[in-house]
This record gives sequence, structure tokens and C-alpha cells, in this order.
Amino acid sequence: MIVLPMLLIAFYSVTDSGNGIVDVSFTFDNYKRFFTDPDFLIVLWRSVKIAIKTTIICVILGYPIAYFIAGSKPRTQGVLILLVTLPMWINMLVRTYAWIGILSEGGIAQKLLQLIGLGNGDLLYTEGAVMLGMVYNFIPFMILQINSALSKMDKSLIEAGADLGASKFQIFKRIVLPLSMPGVISGITLVFLPAVSSFFIPKLLGGGQYFLIGNVIENQFITVGEWSFGSAVSMIIAVIMMISIWAVRSIENRNSGVKRNRKARVSDEER
Amino acid sequence: MKKDRRIFGKVLIVLTILFFYLPIVYMVVFSFNSSKSLTSFEGFSMQWYVKMLESHDMMTSLYTTIIVAILATLISTFVGTITAIGLSKSRKAVRNLVSQINDFPIMNPEIVTAIGLMLLFITFSINKGFMTLLLAHIAFCIPYVILSVMPKIRTLDPNLADAAMDLGATPWQAIRKVIMPQIAPGIFAGAIIAFTMSFDDFIISYFVTGDGVKNLSIMVYTMSKRVNPSINAISTLVVVLITIVLILVNVIPAIRKKMMKEEKIASHRGAKVTAGILVVAVLIGFFGIRHVVTPTGEYEGQTLHVYNWGEYTGENIIGDFEEATGAKVVLDIFDSNEQMYIKVANGESYDVLVPSDYMIQRLIEEDRLQPLDHDKLDCFEKLSEGVLDLSYDPGNKYSVPYFWGTVGIVYDKTKVDIEDLEREGFNIFKDPKYRGETYLYDSERDSFMMALKALGYSMNTDSEAELNEAYEWLVECVENTDPEIVTDEIIDNMAQGRKALGLIYSGDASYVMAENPDMGYYMPESGTNLWSDAMVIPKNAQNVDLAHEFINFVSAYEGAMDNSSYVGYTSPNEEVMNELKGPGGDYEGINAYVPRTDNENDEIFTYNEDTRVIISNLWSKVKLAASNN
Repeated sequence: MIVLPMLLIAFYSVTDSGNGIVDVSFTFDNYKRFFTDPDFLIVLWRSVKIAIKTTIICVILGYPIAYFIAGSKPRTQGVLILLVTLPMWINMLVRTYAWIGILSEGGIAQKLLQLIGLGNGDLLYTEGAVMLGMVYNFIPFMILQINSALSKMDKSLIEAGADLGASKFQIFKRIVLPLSMPGVISGITLVFLPAVSSFFIPKLLGGGQYFLIGNVIENQFITVGEWSFGSAVSMIIAVIMMISIWAVRSIENRNSGVKRNRKARVSDEER
Repeated sequence: MKKDRRIFGKVLIVLTILFFYLPIVYMVVFSFNSSKSLTSFEGFSMQWYVKMLESHDMMTSLYTTIIVAILATLISTFVGTITAIGLSKSRKAVRNLVSQINDFPIMNPEIVTAIGLMLLFITFSINKGFMTLLLAHIAFCIPYVILSVMPKIRTLDPNLADAAMDLGATPWQAIRKVIMPQIAPGIFAGAIIAFTMSFDDFIISYFVTGDGVKNLSIMVYTMSKRVNPSINAISTLVVVLITIVLILVNVIPAIRKKMMKEEKIASHRGAKVTAGILVVAVLIGFFGIRHVVTPTGEYEGQTLHVYNWGEYTGENIIGDFEEATGAKVVLDIFDSNEQMYIKVANGESYDVLVPSDYMIQRLIEEDRLQPLDHDKLDCFEKLSEGVLDLSYDPGNKYSVPYFWGTVGIVYDKTKVDIEDLEREGFNIFKDPKYRGETYLYDSERDSFMMALKALGYSMNTDSEAELNEAYEWLVECVENTDPEIVTDEIIDNMAQGRKALGLIYSGDASYVMAENPDMGYYMPESGTNLWSDAMVIPKNAQNVDLAHEFINFVSAYEGAMDNSSYVGYTSPNEEVMNELKGPGGDYEGINAYVPRTDNENDEIFTYNEDTRVIISNLWSKVKLAASNN
């Protein structure tokens, strides 16, 4: 149930466009078609770019939020975490739909911008709107991941640092930040992954002419009905995702140093 | 200093929470809005809730969502827990391999998983529908359950089970009495994650469902094209439901603990029963809503299944028909001819369908319709001549027109020079003068119709050269004017005068013009598409007599009047059309309401599968070009 679907995608991606499993011929045309058409490459590049931007915004905004939540009293902390998770229970599509009303012309977002004198340009159906939708939907993942890394941290380390005369900033830079890195890393994967392949956020907030790679796949399967090309595009993003996850993880491993690695290996063997 | 930072933290957290809850609050507030607007609140009203409860589609989708979520949670929690326990007992290599495979769907973009599952179902020719939806949900929930149960099992002392069995417990008892209580928090957490994932899922459901089975997300996605505050109403209902579930989840363990202290084990069951009763009560209350009054009459106890476009039925017509005949009407909604076709071709039984011309032709060619009994129909003499005996169904053997019209250009008279329109026709969409001021319609058939007509070709051409030329035309249009490619959003947006020009169906243009007198409708001399949607009875209809009654009812004065004045599309009933366009009528002076029947360049679509695929592909390339603009 888990492996077979992937194999099928790989299989369809190297067959010609007949949608049957019998009587197929193998070809790499689908990949060639993708990589030789600048239109597809531009879309792919834009999808990656917007996902990176979204991820960066999520880290920059999410880190301080998670930091302050972790620093509050245990009781408040529980309430705050609940407040962050609660919206995640409500359908993502429904929440994205709600933004349409807020961002559309004459909506409260525009009125607010006019009030503080920031002009009255279009808000809905822009790249900004798509990014807002992504940050809104995905930032809770980042906050929760960083927060759990921060609250697992041994508080005595900070005290020890302070006793040894480190400044607040030094403590943050030398102790807190490195120890919370695993949370940041898994937050990054949890945000970047859905952001690259998202297709309903661009469709609802970016309009019908705003295409990301997810929309290309949706279009191939739902409207055009050419599965082999759609499968090839899916394979391409699956591979890109794996490479980027692997890259992020290996950077993390290098940073965390040999010591922790060894420790991890030991505890792994103990199991 | 320290105080400053604390204030900064508080402000930040307050802002974040505002950001998280603003859309939700907004949605709840606007679900009570008395007008259709999503931007200004004009008074309190419950009308969207009434509409939601009346909508068969919406209630079914909510029901599907809940049932799928409950079943998927139960099954995946069970399977996932067993797998996790089994894994902990297996060799390390196997365990590592399986847990890496387990990570796969979690580490993969959801859309890829979705497509994989869809291909899987298709390859093994499992008909897409409720079962595939449920299977897919179970499949993507299991990894999360395993992931949350695994760590608990790891912390478990492996000797525990052995000890229990040494003391005479059967393996099953060992699992139930010893292991289960230890890992219960993990299982519980896994079940919660599974429920959320399933309840929330859109992407996977969207690809694996079929046969008209929709969950809430899919419904919101397909309905979001047009402003529809009922979406806000149903979303509010979901917020309330979720809050209730969350309260139950958080409060029950607390109550249970309290009760346990007081009465020990006896009340343990008590709490479980209370929880069960609560859940059942919520469900029953929910289903209770779906049953409404049954009227009396000639066809009492019978049911008519109608499959029609969304937003395509008059306000009272269904209720009036039920009252007149005593039958119950079940109205299902589709948003494209192709979607309707798949459902009908899969053998779903309906009594009346309302497809478009070319699709009727296809259904006739494939022998899926039954000839109408003209003796039972008294409607033909009431209908306009221009809409009868058309090429898709000569002699109206199979179909009775429902609405008809043209495709044309809606324009803002204050922004567009009528001379430009007369000189350029459809080529106005390539005029850089209107850059940033145009809407195109996201439909490959209508867009290629426009391009082919602008180039002077037939819109039914099967020449690849001409189709390619049309493609070039569309790309140029996208480059020159940077249009927004929309579907039904055009209706509300043009009614509010947001852009100068758009490609539109005449019926939608009538609505726009009735709302905003600055708007005009123009049909280029080079010709356009003359279309009709008509009622047909499929071969496998269950209630043919009632279907004929319905066709008569819709075509007669009152039904046709209700339909046409509410929806805005042109009625084939001549008297109704004349009254509505005449003095004092709803569409007086609105040229879009009257279809053009005297231009020899106008054509009716014919069905051709080969060109459909070519056009589909080319159109998605046009959209790519627009997106990369």
C-alpha cells in the first residue's frame, strides 16, 4: 500500500501516453518534454523559490514565537500551544477560503492598508497572497517543532552558561540556538515540503493564471488526462524533495558534530 | 530591559494568535451576513444556514467526511498498532527497513502520494468512490499511527510480555492486559493524529475519489469559484463540531480520572458509556437534520433523481414540483459535462440529466439515453423555434431544452470604446490598450472557440494546423493583455466593475448587467458559440413517468419563469423569454438575455474526442504561459 503507488508512478512516467497497463512501450519522452520546455522549468523554479521564501519567513517569525512560548509559565505554555494547534484542526481549505474575503477588493485587509496609508493595490490574486496563504497554513508546524526542541532543552545548561559569565546573547548563540537546531530542521522540512507541491493555495489565492508545479500535476491528471506526463512531473518533484531533505539533514549532521553522532550510535545499538 | 522583552513577547504572541484566528472569526461572522457580500456586513440573517441545510450536496459531503474520518481512524489505529507491536518483535534489519519505508509517505509531497494511490486504484480497476476514498485515508493514516506508537513500545520492557505469559496469560491476554495499557497514550495520540489528518485531508481525497463522492474539502474547492456564503455557514458548523470533539477529548479523561477516584472500576465503564452516548447523540442530532417533511400527492412516496449544474435551478421550482406531485426530488450537482458523463457512464442512475449540446450528442452516440415519449410531453409548442431541432438532436427525439444562450464579451461601457469592440471583435483580447483589464474564462472549449472564431475558422475544426494557430493566438493574447484566467468568479467581479472586459456566457452576462448598468454584452460578427443545455432521460432511469412530468413542469410558464428570473439564463419558453425581456421584465433592455439566431457564423459544438485531448493540452500550455508572464 505504501511502496506500490510509488512504483506505479515510476512505471507510468516512463511509458507513452496510452493510459493502460497492457500494451505499453517505454520511453523517456515525458522527462525530455519537461526539461526541454522553458515554460515548465520556469514554473518549477518559481515553485521552489516561493517555497524557500515561505520557509524563511516561517523560521524568522516562528522562532521568536516558539521561543517566547517556551519561556512562559508551564500553564500558559499549555494554553498557548493549544491555541496554536486549534486552527490546524479546522480544514485547511476552509481556512484558505476565508482569506479570499479578507483580501478581496474592499475587504478589511485593503481598508486597513488604506488606513495606514499604504495604497490600495490589489491583494488577492498576487504572489503575496499565495505566500501569505502558505505562511498561514504552514507556520504552526514550524512553531510546534521549534517549541518542542526548546522545551526539551536542559535548563541547567543555560544557568551553567550564565554562571560561567556568558552574556544573554552569548548564551542564546552558543547554547540555545544550537540545541534548538533539530527543531528548526524538522520545521523546515515540514514547511518546505507542502509548500513546494501545494496546488489549492495558489489556485484559490493566486487565481487561475497563477501556476505552481502542483497545479501542473493537477491539470495533467484532472483536466488533460495524460497520466504518463503527470507521473513524470510527480517523479521529478519527489526526487527534488528527497535530495533537499537529504541535503538539509546532512548539513545538520555535520553541524551537530562527531560527539553527538557517536552518542546517537551508541544509544541506537543499545536498542 | 527585561520588561521590554517580555512585552515584546506578549505583543508578538497576541499578534500571532490574531493572525491565526482572524480568518476563522471572519468566516463565522460572515456566515450570518444577510447579503452575499464577503466584504461588507449588512445585517444579521440565518439564510445561509437554511440554504446549507437544504443543500443535499453539502450535507452529504459533511456526512462523508465524518464517516470516513471515524472509520479511517478506527481501522488505521488498529492496523498501525498491531504493525508497530509486530515490528518491535522482529529483527533489527527488518525493523529499520520498514520504518524507512514508513517514513516515505510522510517525507513525500502529498500530491505524489495522492497520484500514486490514484494510479494504484485505476491499475487494478477499482472503481473510484467511497471505498477508494476510505482505503486511501486508511493508507495515509497508518504511518502516523506507527510513528506515534513506536516510541512507546521502545520504552517498554521486552520481558514484560514474557513475564505475563510465564504467569499463565495467553499471548492475546498479554497484549490486552499488559502491553496495551502501557502504550495506550501512544495509541491515543496516533488515533487523534489519524482523525485530524483524515478530517482535514484534501489533496489525496481529491485524486482518489469518484462517483460524485465528495468530502468537505472537495466541496469547498469546487464551490469556491463563486461567492457562496453557505460555505461560511458549513465551515462554522465544522468549527463548532471540532470544538465539541476537542472538549470531549480534553474533558473526558479528566472526568474519568475523577470518577475513578470516587467509584473505582465500575465507573470506568460508566465514563466510556457516557462518552459513547455523547458521540452517538451528536451523530443522531446531525442526521436528524437531514430528514424533512414529506408532502402528499399523485406520486407520493416516489423519488425523482435530478442531476443538474450548480446554481442552475430556480428558488421554488423543486419545492413547487414536490407539492404538485407529492414526489420527493433529490438534486445532485455537477460542475462540468465531463464530470456528469463519468458518473452516468459508471452506471449511476438518474431520472433527468441536464447536459450541454455536444455532450447530449455523445450520450446519444453511445446509446445512453432513451427516446422521449412525445405523447406525454405538452411543452414543445411553448418553446422558441430557435432552440428546437438543433444539430445535436434533430427532431428533439431525446432532449427538451432547459436554458440556451451564446458566449460573448462582457464589457464596462465606461472603460471600453464600443468602436474598438466592433472593429476588433474577439481580437480585443489581444489589444495592449486593455492590458491588465481582462478576464479569460478557464475553459478550453470556450477559449479555443474564441480564438478559432477570431481567426475566421470553424470552432469545430479538426485541423491541427488551425488548432495550433488558435494556440498561438491565445498565447499572444496572454502576452499582450496579461489576463486573469477565472471561471465563475468573473460573475461577481464584473458585477462590481473590477475589470473592463471578459469572456462570458450570455446568462451570466444578463445577471451582471442587471446588477450593474455600466456593463454591456457584445457578440462579435465573426461568430460565436450558440449553446443549449437540455433535459434528457438516461437509459437506466428508474422513474420515467415522473421524469416526463418534471420536464413538463420545468418547461411550463411558472417553472420556466422561476428558473429564468432567478438564474439569469435565457428560457426556451417563448412567453417567459418575451415577458422577461419586455417592458417591466427583469431583463428589459439587456441584450445578453436574447440569444442571437441570425448570424450565420454562429455554430453549435459537436463532440470529437481527439480534438478534445489536443485542445486540453494546448490550453494548459496557454495557462503556463500566462503564469510565466
